[in-house]
Amino acid sequence: MDDETFLLLLLSDSNLPTGSFVASSGFESYIKHGFGGDQNNRTTMFMRDSISAYARSALAFVSDTHRIVQDVRRDFERGSEQKSDFDKYLQKIKEVDDLYDAMTLNDVTKRASKSQGVALLTLYSKGLTPPLALTGVKNRKETEIEVNSYMTSLVSQYKSLVRAESAPGHLPICWGILTSALGLTSERSQYLHIFLHARSLLSVSVRLNEIGPYNAQQTLLYISRSVIEAEVVRCKDLRTGIPSSTGTESDQPDGVDDKSRGPANTWPLGEILAARHDLQHSRIFNS
Amino acid sequence: MPGSSTSISKIQAGGGRITLSSHGGKAWISEFSATYPLKLLSPRLSDNAVAIVYVLTYGGGLVGGDCIELTVNVESATKLLLLSQGSTKVFKDRPQQRLASVQRSDHASRSTPGQASATLQNMNFTVSSQAALFLLPDPVTCFRSASYSQIQTFHASKDATLVILDWITSGRKSLGEDWVLSRYYSVNEVLIAGKRVAKDVMLLENNEFNSDSRLNRSLAEKLSPFACYATVILRGPLVEETIVQLTTRYGGISIMQRKAPEDLLWSLSSIGSDKENGVVVRVAGKETEMVKDWLKNTLRSLEQHIGVDVYRRAFV
Repeated sequence: MDDETFLLLLLSDSNLPTGSFVASSGFESYIKHGFGGDQNNRTTMFMRDSISAYARSALAFVSDTHRIVQDVRRDFERGSEQKSDFDKYLQKIKEVDDLYDAMTLNDVTKRASKSQGVALLTLYSKGLTPPLALTGVKNRKETEIEVNSYMTSLVSQYKSLVRAESAPGHLPICWGILTSALGLTSERSQYLHIFLHARSLLSVSVRLNEIGPYNAQQTLLYISRSVIEAEVVRCKDLRTGIPSSTGTESDQPDGVDDKSRGPANTWPLGEILAARHDLQHSRIFNS
Repeated sequence: MPGSSTSISKIQAGGGRITLSSHGGKAWISEFSATYPLKLLSPRLSDNAVAIVYVLTYGGGLVGGDCIELTVNVESATKLLLLSQGSTKVFKDRPQQRLASVQRSDHASRSTPGQASATLQNMNFTVSSQAALFLLPDPVTCFRSASYSQIQTFHASKDATLVILDWITSGRKSLGEDWVLSRYYSVNEVLIAGKRVAKDVMLLENNEFNSDSRLNRSLAEKLSPFACYATVILRGPLVEETIVQLTTRYGGISIMQRKAPEDLLWSLSSIGSDKENGVVVRVAGKETEMVKDWLKNTLRSLEQHIGVDVYRRAFV
């Protein structure tokens, strides 16, 4: 089994400590407010609209951050002089992070995003870096260990920025950092991110007694899959508009290109319901 | 132009400029120009504190290829109220709608084939220290197959006040239009003291997904049962009271399990982590009138800053 497949299996483990199980992505509020009609179709309808909306608003941030961290890795592999000068990269990531914050004008979503984001960074430092004593691992190359410790430094420095409240530490950005630091390709990173969003929604649905556990698996396998794929294809080439360090990105803020290439909110109803989550008299989810 | 030392900027078709200046406690419009199809009207006011400008288009709507570029300067300690006269109607894409031939702006000439006949409104606002901008247009109504883009950028000083209303309705009820537009794209970007604090981007599209019809979710399905969606951005000294009222009202809402959606829903969120950045209000209503009434009541404390008569013009 190759590295990437193993990583995918690991990252899709529902026991992964990311704190995502307390977030309903607005589904609990949707139901409480009387939307979706009868229970039979509610989950499918919400899932379709939610996946579509989330992909359009967040994927560009995942891929742009992923690319920045890839640039860091490439600099390292080239033996670049400023090996430990992360500053310019940290600033670039922060810029993408700040833009996501400015574009996500929803207190509940931001709260959920930040708590999951920092959980991912913590997961990386505490759970996905090589342990100090690497006995018996004969095949691990010298350079691989160096790259890992380099990435660890970058992630921990960004986490410090987040802890100091200098950077927001939003979920799509932290996911981009995590997956890129682990060496996952951008395509896989995007796909997995949306897959996890879909799967999380189905878990929420089961916990809310909307559908049963078997139904959830059936939905994931036969219905969610086409939605995930379609949305990832649709949004995979979106850009935030913040150019990467390589300068290959077309830099046209607010130009004609932005209208078709950038992130956007495509479901204002979902936005309002998610923001109103805290207004529920009683609720089991945090967001 | 009295008092102006800068040369008059070349204006393209659909271009416009408004500058509200003040001197010795009196406000006056120092720049005021518009080119077809944009039209600007400024009624004379008895009270010099607030200037009102109506932003219109010839024919009462926008057609394919129209490109409006408006630059607005609200200088220190002045107040500007921008209104429209009736909903901005956006007609569907059709080539060469306008009969008058006026030099097209750079944008319109170099737009790509697919976007050749979409309409675009690009507006830049600068609101200086202790100044206030009240942008309270009627909603946009995109007719069947219309494609519309609107980009509004606000550069505000730390103590400037902004009230930005951006709203859209589902279409012509009489023709049974229920979110059958082709594309609606609206950006509201707010910078305070040069730093971007908010960028609200709304994109509504009716698009063909793929052959799997299960995946097709029309806009009407996604936005149902509401026929009108509004976004209001509020920040600055003159709306502090309004924001406090909203926050209190919002905090008092408690939702129990409902069988069906309410007629009107609204949400409140902060902008960034600094209170000075302001708030975003989003409203959805089954009818445009409901949303209009809600807005009129919610923003009523603006009367003390612009006067009752002036405020009345806003939600006619």
